[in-house]
Amino acid sequence: MSLEQDVLWYKRAIIYQVHVRAFYDSNGDGVGDFPGLDQKLDYLVELGINTIWLMPFFPSPLRDDGYDIADYNSVHSSYGTLEDFRKFLGSAHQRQIRVIIEMVLNHTSDQHPWFQQSRSSQENPRRDWYVWSDTDTRYHEAGINFVDTEMSNWAWDPVSKSYYWHRFFSHQPDLNYDNPAVREEMWNVMKFWLELGVDGFRLDAVPYLVEREGTNCENLPETHAVIKELRRKLDGQFPGKMLLAEANQWPADLRPYFADGDEFHMAFHFPLMPRMFMGVKLEDRKPITEILQRTPEIPPSCQWCLFLRNHDELTLEMLTNIERDYMNDSYAQDKAMRLNLGIRRRLAPLLDNDRRRIELMNGILMSLPGTPSIYYGDEIGMGDNIKLGDRNGVRTPMQWGGGWNGGFSAADPEKLYAPLIQDPLYGFPAVNVFSQKKTQHSLLNWMGRLIAVRKTTGAFGSGSIEFLYPANHRILAYVRRLGDETILVVNNLSNAAQAVELDLRSYKGNIPIEMFGRNIFPRVGELPYLLTLGPYSFYWFRLRKI
Amino acid sequence: MTEVKLAEESSLTDDFLGQLISVGEVDILVGVPTHNNAKTIGPILEAIQAGLLTFFPRERVAIINADGGSRDGTPGLVVNAAIGDARRSSKLYALRTLHSISTQYASSPASGTALRTILAAAELLRAKACAVISPESSQITSDWLAALLRPVYAETFDLVLPTYRRHRFDGILLTNLLYPMTRALYGLEIREPYASEYAFSGRLGNQFLAQNPWHEETARAGSEIQFTLAAIAGGYRICQSFLGTKEHVERHSADLVPAMRQTVGALFSSLEPNFSLWNTKTGSQPILTTGAEQEFTLDPLRINRKRLRDMFSTGVTELESVFRSILSVSTLAELQRISGLDEGHFRYSEELWVKTVYEFAAAYHKSVISRDHVIQALAPLFRGRAFTFLMENRDGSAGDVENNIEGLCLEFERMKPYLLEIWNGRE
Repeated sequence: MSLEQDVLWYKRAIIYQVHVRAFYDSNGDGVGDFPGLDQKLDYLVELGINTIWLMPFFPSPLRDDGYDIADYNSVHSSYGTLEDFRKFLGSAHQRQIRVIIEMVLNHTSDQHPWFQQSRSSQENPRRDWYVWSDTDTRYHEAGINFVDTEMSNWAWDPVSKSYYWHRFFSHQPDLNYDNPAVREEMWNVMKFWLELGVDGFRLDAVPYLVEREGTNCENLPETHAVIKELRRKLDGQFPGKMLLAEANQWPADLRPYFADGDEFHMAFHFPLMPRMFMGVKLEDRKPITEILQRTPEIPPSCQWCLFLRNHDELTLEMLTNIERDYMNDSYAQDKAMRLNLGIRRRLAPLLDNDRRRIELMNGILMSLPGTPSIYYGDEIGMGDNIKLGDRNGVRTPMQWGGGWNGGFSAADPEKLYAPLIQDPLYGFPAVNVFSQKKTQHSLLNWMGRLIAVRKTTGAFGSGSIEFLYPANHRILAYVRRLGDETILVVNNLSNAAQAVELDLRSYKGNIPIEMFGRNIFPRVGELPYLLTLGPYSFYWFRLRKI
Repeated sequence: MTEVKLAEESSLTDDFLGQLISVGEVDILVGVPTHNNAKTIGPILEAIQAGLLTFFPRERVAIINADGGSRDGTPGLVVNAAIGDARRSSKLYALRTLHSISTQYASSPASGTALRTILAAAELLRAKACAVISPESSQITSDWLAALLRPVYAETFDLVLPTYRRHRFDGILLTNLLYPMTRALYGLEIREPYASEYAFSGRLGNQFLAQNPWHEETARAGSEIQFTLAAIAGGYRICQSFLGTKEHVERHSADLVPAMRQTVGALFSSLEPNFSLWNTKTGSQPILTTGAEQEFTLDPLRINRKRLRDMFSTGVTELESVFRSILSVSTLAELQRISGLDEGHFRYSEELWVKTVYEFAAAYHKSVISRDHVIQALAPLFRGRAFTFLMENRDGSAGDVENNIEGLCLEFERMKPYLLEIWNGRE
């Protein structure tokens, strides 16, 4: 099937999230670039991913790692040119890899010309493109996202002598989506990139687009109307393109973003992610099954996007206070690891570099309903550097080899946009692509195998899920079904070997075939199906009635 | 009756073992021995759940019910106390799964067998701290769980025994025999050596499980007191925690002999194996107590005192030949003398009571008659002592009651050499 013909491609996607700046530096200036990313596409093909999600690469003062955009229709000079981007996009498509890009709808940089014009005078035509106020008391029910750095959602602008609204950093003024001109202009921005050939957008911070007095200014009907309008235009002019929502909300609040299949195609399942970590630490499936029980059905054309880690802190917003305290005490004993309401660490250090737990977590990620997203470097077990400020500790250069700058750049080390991880455990001499490629049982090669096995069935991406509830709470077991395909997944969340009896009477007569080794297990009968699992191990069985 | 399938040479059923496998390793285990307790068990389970989830929200916990063959649905009520992804609680938030499982042990109802089942479960689940909660303690609050378990789980105690706020006339057998005699013998001021609620460390539980003989007699009688004595004998760290009010449970007078078998019988039978432990001890030491040591309430309570004295006098007369083989001549003569006194002059003194008890203990040791008959014969004499205790304390304050009990304890300690003298001495 060609890329154009497959309109539900995002259900079969394996997403790889990467920042162009961090991946590969082709010109030796210390910063990754599009020609560098282009050169490394075959690595991604080999890994088995089929979709790249690019973090912001637009011109920006880079005070929030590019999420503070100063020009939506260009490429930051450090990363190359628009032509470089076009070439990279073509190369990716040639390899059957789709590309989705970041689109920060909610706010711009305060350096964006729109804001500069808006602040310049009350009469400026762009004055109403942002949310201004004479007081800082409006919308007081709205929460503050970056509690560690911001005291208020209003900031005083000495130029125009009034307050402007910002839900994130004060240098990121929110656009005014009540203004039709803003909505039209942001569609024009999206159209610009769609015409270049991108396959979709990850829309940043979508719950916050519109403000209304007396509300918390999140998930408002008016915000949904904006999304619906964008989607209608997208479907009308660019069929087969996809919108992915970043909305850190409870499942019930997220559900409206799918609407009747006419808002987002996909949304990140934020509440699930910390509960996967909690489940493994508690050795108890309860947090995972409970949040998935609370996850409403979504339209057939829609999809959850699942992830273990991303470029942000491991957000703990969607947890109760007891759960949040537990997570912090379990995963971030050093308070420097905590940021806002989250934990700024990568996957491998979070899991104590325990290969078994890393594999288990990835196994769960790849087998629960949704499209998995892998954060660059996690496929080799990269570490982090909490001494770097904000979330920069998880945004360090990709570790390609054990030599000069970890193979990332030919620049002098001090010119790199960020220092490489250098500690003995996670540093580039120990953890890198080159050495892992040469080792058959490396994490990298294991990840490739995992992805390859996942791709042998459509059940993981598009199938139904039925949880089994064995009495052993350390076992997370479920059946994924799509058409004639039935996959049984059994995960041991415990650090110790476990025995479990599964009620598989509905599948009586089936022969379980283990999907990695393709070994045959005893036929399912009337009695409880006994399995034993090693610490943190998991099975994927294809159930075949032969 | 439910068919119970026992694995070969195991006290645990296959079904129970399967449930334990599902529970897996735990940090804290709460054992609830039951037999037809459906009327009271509901609020008790709620208090246990609340206590565990409030004070130990992050720990791996399980409630284990050892049932003696209830026919009133008690085990089902316990199983319903589980909280997990397949069963939620509308009132309580659980970070992790709270297992609540039940098993019916193979023998007839017996507290020892129930305790053995709970200890076996605790060992298999590698519980660090365990509590046993009575299915009759309807005044339990969630705080009891913290009071019992924290000293074991968060500190380094091996056995936590309770103290309660009791009615001054509740537990007369405890205040007039079990407490003072245990204290005199073993030198520790343990107020509730025969506790219905207590907590213990995994290592103490494992040691008791392995070393206790667990024959039929011990299964029936007083394994709780043997547990306390095992902790003393093993040099384990013991403390007391004040729990709150212990409600008086009305018991028929016919219940006294079975109760004495379980408690006094167990205490007497402990003397032989622990002789080297108690024969050199003099005096007694207080043990660390959190909260009040013991409180008494003074509410009016109807007790048929006349019946107690009558049963005493009848017993002294009817059991004279039995007493001749148990008691010294002087003790028997004194008992016969006071049995003829009217209510106004009747007094079973501390000294005579202690002498009586010690002579019964020695007779039990020497098996001068059937040991069970020794215990049965003590029952009417205890009623006489209870009459005196009631009379002497009917107008007393809580302090007076406490002073009188303390006086009796000191008398037990003072006369301990007499016990040693008759232990292997004159017939």
